[in-house]
Amino acid sequence: MSEPLSKIPVGMRYYTGAEARLRRGVEAAIMGVFDGWSYEEITTPCVDYLALFERGMGYEQAHTAFRFTDCDGRMLALRPDVTSSVARAAATLFAGKIRPLRFCYASQAFRQRPPSHAEWRRESTQLGCELFGAGGSGAEIEMLSVAAEILTALNLSGDYRITVNSVEIFNGIAEHLALDELQRETMRQLVDKRDAAELQKFLARFGTTETERASFSHLIRLSGKNEILEEARHIITNPRSVAALADLEALWRIIRALDLADVCDIDLGDVSGLDYYTGLTFKIYVAGAGTRVGGGGRYDNLTANFGRREPAVGFVLDLDALTDVLMRRANPAPVEVTGGESFPLDDLDPATLFKDARRRRARRERVLINFEG
Amino acid sequence: MPELTIAVAKGRMQDDALQLLARVGIRVGQAALKSRRLAIEDESGVYRFVFVKPSDVPVYVEHGIADCGVVGRDVLLESGADLLQPLDLRIGYCRIAVAVRAGTASPSSGALRVATKYPQIAAAHFGARGVPVEIIQLSGSVELAPVLGLADCIVDLVETGQTLSENGLEIVEEITDSSARLVVNRASYQLKAARVSCLIELLNAWLEKEVAG
Repeated sequence: MSEPLSKIPVGMRYYTGAEARLRRGVEAAIMGVFDGWSYEEITTPCVDYLALFERGMGYEQAHTAFRFTDCDGRMLALRPDVTSSVARAAATLFAGKIRPLRFCYASQAFRQRPPSHAEWRRESTQLGCELFGAGGSGAEIEMLSVAAEILTALNLSGDYRITVNSVEIFNGIAEHLALDELQRETMRQLVDKRDAAELQKFLARFGTTETERASFSHLIRLSGKNEILEEARHIITNPRSVAALADLEALWRIIRALDLADVCDIDLGDVSGLDYYTGLTFKIYVAGAGTRVGGGGRYDNLTANFGRREPAVGFVLDLDALTDVLMRRANPAPVEVTGGESFPLDDLDPATLFKDARRRRARRERVLINFEG
Repeated sequence: MPELTIAVAKGRMQDDALQLLARVGIRVGQAALKSRRLAIEDESGVYRFVFVKPSDVPVYVEHGIADCGVVGRDVLLESGADLLQPLDLRIGYCRIAVAVRAGTASPSSGALRVATKYPQIAAAHFGARGVPVEIIQLSGSVELAPVLGLADCIVDLVETGQTLSENGLEIVEEITDSSARLVVNRASYQLKAARVSCLIELLNAWLEKEVAG
């Protein structure tokens, strides 16, 4: 083997200097907002049973993790997400605690396979919050409020967009068309890619009228404000989707009342993570990042996998993607570098030198000792 | 400052794509086209076009360096890029097919040797049928491989079939057909929603009129 020692695995990287300071500052700013909304920090194990993630994320997602075996032969994984273990903790260790229960975290997650070419990292740091035991639109609005406050705190006002949708709209349509699992996944992929032409061909197999097909295909290709819901109500008539549309509309009224309508869009074509989420989903986009920088939603079925069914909602932000965006901007600063001038102490004997240095440190001054003098 | 950057695949699709865009009112000056510049603006200054190798189009769009792209479905299938594909532009039609030397039967035992510029598509196609294959990746003149004995068959793009027949090959199976797609970056789709949907609607209206007419 003649690999150079300098080589590090694909999808991993170093952070140093200004970038590392910025990253630390972004993390502190975000955790500060979580704290301001009374989220308790939780640190979960970096290594956990693979079975946990299979229950939490589903088989396919869980198996994007780095996997290895414990001494007793059980499969372990480097955590590919944080929500699974937070949900388990909420359902088990904290089962007796008063609801609602609020947790936040800043933790690395690892994936053996990155989700796309542009999201090349295999180690990423997720900043997230989870709210257990609160159903209804209140908890969802809390998520959107926290997310909007964070993005504003990072000087990203005017440069970000939060899209909202409800997976129940799609679920209702799939149920109405009586799709089997494979057909459902095919339709999901077509909607996800906004492939209106192929979607129309697909829908033609299921006894839909041409007008229905054309309108529905048009609908998933647009994102926008209230008018999307207006249009959707005329096209989608199955009871399950209609109920979801009504919920989304109620949510939108609050969004508007909170002056968040400018930064939010309704995107009925957002159907990723369908098996995981049970209602509202949202995604966060920031100008300068080619992929989304965060997202979340309602996942009321997850904690049942750990023995206690309760409503839950949460979201994560990708610290590395946010750092990249802010680093490339002219004013990448929610961050203060503390400390004053550094000073060389070349010609003194060590005792005098360090006496002086420690005195300056007690005053919180920045010192830089030059040993080469 | 242009509002949308569109990556266009150089080569066989470029002229058709620019023609289609001109029909919906997005025109590029002849002088700019004739120059060797790889990035040019349209006459309105709203759009900037960059001309890149077909396989690089999904790369630029997936990273959000270009907001949109015009590229063949074949390239998208091969790249596995995570992109939105709102429109079939109905230009650049071709097929992806399996071809062998005329008159030869595929080997009944052992792994089939497949020469191709499309290793992912080829592997997925034979994988789905449970056929064991050895994929031999080439970057051009794929038709030579079966003739010289490098491979038992090829998986390649077929437009007219002329190159195949001139080299004594015949199609035994069509994998899929392909045409140019408008692709859009996921973030641009949301952050530049008004611009992007305007472009989609312009093109869509023209395409639907074409079908109706």
